[in-house]
Amino acid sequence: MNTDQLIDQLAAKTRPVRRHAVGWRLGLGTAIGAAASTLLIAMTLGIRPDLGAAMHGFTFWMKWTYTISLAIGAIWATSRLARPDGGGLRRLWLLAIPVGLLASVGVVEMIRTPQSEWLAMWLGHSWKLCPWLVLTLAMPIFIGLLWSFRRLAPTRLRAAGAAAGLAAGAFSATVYCFHCPEVSALFVLTWYSLGILLAASFGALVGPRLLRW
Amino acid sequence: MRASEDQLRTWMISGLDGNAADHAALLRALVPLLHAFYRRRSVADEIEDLVQDTLIAVHTRRATYDRDRAFTAWLFAIARYKMIDHFRSNRRTVPIEGLEEILVAEGFQAASDARMDVDQLLDTLPAKQARMIRATQIDGMSVADAASADGIGQSDVKVSVHRGLKALAARLRGDVR
Repeated sequence: MNTDQLIDQLAAKTRPVRRHAVGWRLGLGTAIGAAASTLLIAMTLGIRPDLGAAMHGFTFWMKWTYTISLAIGAIWATSRLARPDGGGLRRLWLLAIPVGLLASVGVVEMIRTPQSEWLAMWLGHSWKLCPWLVLTLAMPIFIGLLWSFRRLAPTRLRAAGAAAGLAAGAFSATVYCFHCPEVSALFVLTWYSLGILLAASFGALVGPRLLRW
Repeated sequence: MRASEDQLRTWMISGLDGNAADHAALLRALVPLLHAFYRRRSVADEIEDLVQDTLIAVHTRRATYDRDRAFTAWLFAIARYKMIDHFRSNRRTVPIEGLEEILVAEGFQAASDARMDVDQLLDTLPAKQARMIRATQIDGMSVADAASADGIGQSDVKVSVHRGLKALAARLRGDVR
């Protein structure tokens, strides 16, 4: 086809694009994915029966603060990497803040707990499953983000994949809180983070192939 | 005559607001820019494909343009990506001398300023020398092509280019005769 015909065809499909379209698109992909993950939890793992009561407690909000702030940081990085001229990621070091805060809560926990119980506290009841569940529940969100990327233009595909994986993992950990009854900060810091990092690694692995355009 | 950054940006934003005519004007104006971009990177036989691919990308990915930023930076970031992707999928290697140029972001303003500077400098040379430098060094013709296009011998082309470049170098060093 010659270039003039191509241009006519493309211009015939000129639809208005709203401002902040990148943010909207990423938000929509994440929201649909997170809804699917929540549904998956409700149907297979079950929502924790004491969720209402837990939402009045400290640990639930400690977990949410941690996972949600990681999710915000990751989705910010994703939105930068979704543009061809997105700019640097230097502010990503801010993600160290929630990690540091949670670690200090963990230290307080260790001071308050007798040394003999440290191991039990750290491993909780579900350490073997938790990272894998976070990774699994990240998949619908990652797929949602892949849909978002179909209109976006990442040029650093591995980094964009990793950021999308990190965001999927962090949102997945957030909805996983609806199920998971674990209360220890050290538990969350280790096993939740491991699941989130697995999701980020998965994203980095498949990014160059799946995000090509 | 090439469209300016401001003009391109105006068309782009109007296109984003849904104006199909301006969007078409933008895409038409990008064709010579993209041709020049890819030609300088020596992919002669695939230029047309790359230009069309890039136009499609500009159209389908236009949501990623931030209205507050420079348009050409966004455009050339896409063009560069498309070229690297093209090399990668064809398992071709990019010569290392060209790498710098590929990685460095293209300043549209700087490039057009440079083009004007070159034009001014070439105007100070005898017509034949300027024409030969333009043909072989800027438009990328081979010596043989330039010679037959002008109906002169190949050695004449080489001598003209050599003398012309030498005169330009002397001029740039400051000893204007």
